[in-house]
Amino acid sequence: MEKTPKQKDPPASCRIHVGTSGYAYAEWTDAGFYPAGTKSGQMLPLYAKQFSITELNYTWYRMPTPETIERQRQQAGSGFLFTAKLIRTLTHEIDPMKWQKEALCYREGMAPLLQSKQLSAVLIQLPPSFARTQSNRTHLSVLLDSLDGLPLAVEFRHRSWAVDRVFDELERRQVCLVSVDEPDLPGLFPALDVVTCPDLFYVRFHGRNDQGWRSGNMQKQFDYCYSDDQLGEWIEKRIIPMSSRARKGVIFFNNHVRAQAAENALQLRRLLSKEGLEIG
Amino acid sequence: MQSRSIIHLNVADFAVAVERQADCRLRNCPVIIAPEAAARAEVYDMSEEAYQDGVRKGMPLKTALRFCSGAKVLPPHPDRYEQAMMQCFKRVLPYSPLAEMTDQKGHIFVDVTGTSRLFGPPPDIAWRIRSAFRSEMGLDPIWSVASNKLVAKVATRLVKPSGEYIVREGEEACFLQPLPLYLVPGILPEDRKQFGEFNLSFVGQVAGLTMEQLDLIFGRRGHTLFNLVRGIDLSPVQSFCLKKKGICFDHVFGTDTGQVSVVEGVLYRLTEKIGSLLRRQRLSAKNLGLILDFSDGKRVVRQAAARPPVHDDFSLFLVAKLALERAWTRRVRIRHMSLSCNRFESRSSQLELFAESRAEKEKKEQLMGAIDRVRQRFGSGSLRMGRTFSLDSA
Repeated sequence: MEKTPKQKDPPASCRIHVGTSGYAYAEWTDAGFYPAGTKSGQMLPLYAKQFSITELNYTWYRMPTPETIERQRQQAGSGFLFTAKLIRTLTHEIDPMKWQKEALCYREGMAPLLQSKQLSAVLIQLPPSFARTQSNRTHLSVLLDSLDGLPLAVEFRHRSWAVDRVFDELERRQVCLVSVDEPDLPGLFPALDVVTCPDLFYVRFHGRNDQGWRSGNMQKQFDYCYSDDQLGEWIEKRIIPMSSRARKGVIFFNNHVRAQAAENALQLRRLLSKEGLEIG
Repeated sequence: MQSRSIIHLNVADFAVAVERQADCRLRNCPVIIAPEAAARAEVYDMSEEAYQDGVRKGMPLKTALRFCSGAKVLPPHPDRYEQAMMQCFKRVLPYSPLAEMTDQKGHIFVDVTGTSRLFGPPPDIAWRIRSAFRSEMGLDPIWSVASNKLVAKVATRLVKPSGEYIVREGEEACFLQPLPLYLVPGILPEDRKQFGEFNLSFVGQVAGLTMEQLDLIFGRRGHTLFNLVRGIDLSPVQSFCLKKKGICFDHVFGTDTGQVSVVEGVLYRLTEKIGSLLRRQRLSAKNLGLILDFSDGKRVVRQAAARPPVHDDFSLFLVAKLALERAWTRRVRIRHMSLSCNRFESRSSQLELFAESRAEKEKKEQLMGAIDRVRQRFGSGSLRMGRTFSLDSA
């Protein structure tokens, strides 16, 4: 399962960007991350003062439009980076008759970020039920083809994809494999330090709330706060090795409950700086 | 003021969607809901396929069938749609008590402000509700999230017949700007006609006018229009408690009717049922609501207040008759009638001040008590009022 990356041309230095999965949470105002009375439309500029990157997760729920994306781009500023989740109709609720048209719409929606070179990756998060079957392999292959030209990152949530053949194919396609931290529960994709694309490594911290993970309630699933030790172990075992094999790294915290994601992201930035890694 | 998060759910072509759930053979063909038997039947609802062929709500059925000759025509089933709405509503309530059904046509507003600590971000709640509708009821609603009802409703109109939309707080005006005026609820056809005279047909164009300019054209309505085109809407989502639904009885006429004696006979029977229940629970009605569904699919809802609150059949019937007079203003036959009471109070034990009215009240109480006892013992048909005999021959 573990793969030794075939490194032909090792990158000279790696800049790491740390942020959170989503930024417009009303409860972050209550938690003190945003000043009291901050409206959702005012959150991005405030967020951008603390972080250099965010992962847009509303793009999973609704098709992004160039107008909205451009407005967000302008709000955040030209130096700010984005990654965006792929819409659910291409990963979770696939209509065989419509999905290819949806892929075109998505690409169109992302155009402002792509043109301004502020799009670090499009995150293809596959459902937990998406096992490595023949039909799913075919769908993924066709999906990657239809999104060709966009910087892509794939997050598997079913363990069956953790095999070298999958990593080799991603490497051939220059598609980034997302490393995840999540509870140690049976069937979940393991935490790896595999780099399949020398341009980027991508890490997502979901929290380790094993009690709430399968509760069906996001507020329980992502209610977790990482300790310095847990983050330090990740830096030592995975982030440092991955940063030696990629030019850029993006790391996101998805444990959004009570703004713990923002707290952990700031914490990780501090720890990375201590290790002498280049922070974006 | 705390920013609000309002979800609007809209099941497109609700009546057709419900009929398709009841009969899967309807899924792949155009469907028109209209009372075929009525002489001047109008389209009550239609499927997307029929809409694409040019069929519209309120269009005469004959014209509709010329546009879409292959359509399957079904009579409206208001009770079925009401039941389906209640089922939808039950799936929304776990997320917020502030949920509002504006009609029986598949529209629900949910105010999820302040619930994110419990259930997560509003778009996720909307998506979960939509998933529940899909998996448990086979209905696929359009959903939107916005900071008020007005913008949320425009958003679902925009993506109809399927999809979703999220309008972030502060982006309401930008969102509305490029849209045509007819998409904004509250801007009436007469308003649009007047705007048309000034060559204004888009929201952004009207938003360029000042309040004074709008006042000059529309008078007092100018202020409302000023807010509408800016996406300002402070109206609350009215909470709806299932328990408050109160008592409701209804009747479907075997043959659509326009006969006064038959309609009043049925109304009296419904009044008796409500009266009997009220007296058993020692309650008095403060109002009665009447719903009439006509043979052309139109529905009229009216109510009348009882002042002071009443519980005997004779007084209740007078209130119900007043509601009927208010509702029955069309020369179209009635298909379905429903009488309800949702505002009660406990029966007063206060005695009448004057001896004369006290005696009359006591007489009425005794008579009602006797009627109730006879009916309890020998069945509800054992004692009937003369006005309900007309139903036997109808």
